[in-house]
Amino acid sequence: MKHIRNFSIIAHIDHGKSTLADRMIQLCSGISAREFKDQFLDSMDIERERGITIKSQTICLPFKARDGQEYALNLVDTPGHVDFSYEVSRALTSCEGALLLVDAAQGVEAQTLANLYLAMENDLEIIPVVNKIDLPSAEPEKVALQIEEDLGLDAEMTRYCSAKTGEGVQEILESIVSFLPPPEGDPKAELQALIFDANYDAFRGTIISVRIVNGTLRQGDTIRFMSNDAEYRVEEVGTFRIQRQSEKTLSAGMVGYIIAGIKSVQDARPGDTITLRDRPCAKALPGFKEIQQVVFSSIYPISTDDYEDLAAALEKLQLNDAALTFLKDSSAALGFGFRCGFLGLLHLEVVQERLEREFDVSLILTVPSVRYKCFLKDGSLQEIDNPAYYPDPANIDYTEEPYIKATILMPDRYMGSVMNLCMERRGENTTYHYPTPGRIELSCEIPLAEVIYDFYDRLKSITQGYGSFDYSLIDYRKSDLVKLDILVNGERVDALSQLVHRNNARARGLHACEMLKEEIPRQMFKIAIQAAIGGNVIARTTISALRKDVTAKCYGGDITRKRKLLEKQKAGKKRMKTVGNVDIPQTAFLAVLKSDQK
Amino acid sequence: MVSALYIHIPFCVSKCRYCSFSSFAGLNGLYDRYLLNVKKEMDQISAGCCKKMELQTVFLGGGTPTVLDPERLVNLLDHAEKLFGFAFDAEISVEANPGTVDGRALELLRQGGFDRLSLGVQSFSADELAMLGRCHSPMEADAAFKAARSAGFTNISLDLMYGLPGQTIESWRTTLITALTLEPEHLSMYQLTVEEGTPFGDLLASGKLELPDEDTVVAMDELNLELCGEAGLEMYEISNFSRPGYRCRHNINYWQNNEYHAAGAGAVSFSSGVREKRFDDPREYCRRVEAGDTVITEREELTLEASFRETVVMGLRMMDGVERECLVARFGLDPERYYGEVLEKLVAQQLVELTPTHLKVTPAGRLYSNIILAELV
Repeated sequence: MKHIRNFSIIAHIDHGKSTLADRMIQLCSGISAREFKDQFLDSMDIERERGITIKSQTICLPFKARDGQEYALNLVDTPGHVDFSYEVSRALTSCEGALLLVDAAQGVEAQTLANLYLAMENDLEIIPVVNKIDLPSAEPEKVALQIEEDLGLDAEMTRYCSAKTGEGVQEILESIVSFLPPPEGDPKAELQALIFDANYDAFRGTIISVRIVNGTLRQGDTIRFMSNDAEYRVEEVGTFRIQRQSEKTLSAGMVGYIIAGIKSVQDARPGDTITLRDRPCAKALPGFKEIQQVVFSSIYPISTDDYEDLAAALEKLQLNDAALTFLKDSSAALGFGFRCGFLGLLHLEVVQERLEREFDVSLILTVPSVRYKCFLKDGSLQEIDNPAYYPDPANIDYTEEPYIKATILMPDRYMGSVMNLCMERRGENTTYHYPTPGRIELSCEIPLAEVIYDFYDRLKSITQGYGSFDYSLIDYRKSDLVKLDILVNGERVDALSQLVHRNNARARGLHACEMLKEEIPRQMFKIAIQAAIGGNVIARTTISALRKDVTAKCYGGDITRKRKLLEKQKAGKKRMKTVGNVDIPQTAFLAVLKSDQK
Repeated sequence: MVSALYIHIPFCVSKCRYCSFSSFAGLNGLYDRYLLNVKKEMDQISAGCCKKMELQTVFLGGGTPTVLDPERLVNLLDHAEKLFGFAFDAEISVEANPGTVDGRALELLRQGGFDRLSLGVQSFSADELAMLGRCHSPMEADAAFKAARSAGFTNISLDLMYGLPGQTIESWRTTLITALTLEPEHLSMYQLTVEEGTPFGDLLASGKLELPDEDTVVAMDELNLELCGEAGLEMYEISNFSRPGYRCRHNINYWQNNEYHAAGAGAVSFSSGVREKRFDDPREYCRRVEAGDTVITEREELTLEASFRETVVMGLRMMDGVERECLVARFGLDPERYYGEVLEKLVAQQLVELTPTHLKVTPAGRLYSNIILAELV
């Protein structure tokens, strides 16, 4: 156990976490640069393309330290986005230490702080690492000072590196060995294994990532999940090398995997404790939480024939994404679909992209919504996350909506515009302080609905990319909610309805009308687009009629090409949804979700 | 059975700014070699026909066929006649650019067997011609027409373009009236289509091409019907008008989706159910004929149903539409049964009309033909 180190790298998005992990893997495994795929731990296309980590991954690095001893360094990678903070917290519980990675040019950001607090809550030892020292704009000394002053960490401990060039990485590995404590735990005690992740493998079923806290686990053991008493027989245990490597046992202090014929990742929930049926432990490990979906949207296939495919794709996706929930839904405009719950907007986008890319289904998503509480006059409570089920306003006593506490870190010159943004978004109880000269940490209580709309994009744009943002849910507060409907030539498009605060209704309605005007192609007749609350129209636009759509020339040499153009036109029309007599393209549904970037 | 022949002459004096066709300027040195190879290709086509039939129509198009001197064109036509034979009342068309023909040339062409002349006039406004990059003046167009009449052409068609950058309804009216005053037997009027990869396409993409708005273009369409009607020219296809008896038989063959031979660079043929496109570049084309390699670069063979749909779509370009009996005879399919609801909806919208004998686009549907055809393709 002395030769094990379990650690994680925590960082703000883009500070170079995956690159540092890549470099460490290369140094320890001796994989040549030529064979090496960048972002080694990010196996999904979408992770590579966006440069983000969605699913955490774990890898065991064999490392021969300067003291001549062989160590097993378990790197538990974590997602870097606020939507996935629960996954981060689970991953951190399985570690004794963490590298806190800070970009030498960007400095400390909101998520650095949030992740640091998470690490501290888990009693982790922390090694601050200043990365990207090779950048011309790098200011490592200034950042080190920030680390000391903002974060209260020991500057002596700070290491410097360039994950890109590899400079300083060896030294970091040595520091992990010398500064981070080895795991504790009793291999002879009753088994307590913490699930911190689960991945789906088409051949083996669910692969559970665990940290053995106490006890020892062998192939053939019968395990029990403490949250639901489900029992499974262990088919294989092992550690995460470049490939999975099966082992005879996993014992206290180790990080590894369990394969036990578990069908879906749903059944192996991060945070749960695994013990042995025949010799159970007395108490589950602390910290287990049900995953909370906070953003909801309905997903429809563009072609109604694809409903079965979409259902199958969602089921498959859920095998590997325990945070995704879905229920059958239907819409007059879009037919049958699913109401889905997500951890946040990024999670929603990721699911949408994976469905379209990996499962090849074209989708329409409805306006994302949070979950509201409607208190009815008869004293009952309805939780509403779908505008379709919004009760008759006459029966509603009052409504409540979820609030978050937002933490925003930025250079002080953006203070004014960020305060305005928060106020625009109905922010309350705004406070701020200067952690270091020139930088402001602002905290503010904002309705979650305002944040999922386009808050993050706006923040990025008004702070020219320097503002960073993190949030946590706090409570429900009274709201003045209305249901905003969109009518196309007098017909309500149910899929475009949204629940909004009364003060935002007109602006949202106008925005929706304008976006639809841009996206709906002109048709043979005039199209009226209206936004309404109940019977009251609050915004409108018109799309003028198309007067002509004719191909002037078509002779012997053009027939094939002109026919193909018509076929393209036909295919385009097939991808549209007909509401009343108006054809609405998929892009129009998507455009309504997008904010107007002023 | 194939009874039409298209021959492509891919040369021009200069390239017009809207043109996306297969045509090349500045290849004067290639003319004789090219003609030799076209004849060679025709020899092969003729040899490949098991059942030969006299040609009903021949069309010599371009490019600008008349960049070649009339003797060469007549010689080419003679070669085709020797190979295939022409029906006694065959329609033999040649395209000409007003800047490239004079009285003598037109006489030689007429005497050499061409009996239909298609003159690429495009506009009678000097400014518009310059803007299009045409190499002739309105006066030359007028003179060419009169010279063609004197040379004995009794079937003359004019090509005009409308919806041009900066064009007003008044300037179009002037062009149209000037054209009608010449009393042509046939008029082709094309709304400008700006194609990618042309100078016009680049200008449009960079926002530097100001096209007339849709209302103006629709007013031009209405004007075409009105003025041509008064002049006794009947609209028989989306862009084509003629006096009774002067419809272009060669083009009707295309719109009926019947088969045709073709020779020359860039030309497309359709025979034995196969559509084949030849290499565009005349140099490549020559090399291949000389080396005995194939000149075909694209080949397409449709299923029966796809071919049926294509035939309907092409046929609906004509005002007479498609004859249901012909479709049943050719494909064993009738549009009413085949399209079902889709057609019912178009009928209900009064965009098409289904009679016991025909399927055709209604006058109200004419300006929306792409929307209609996209349902049926």
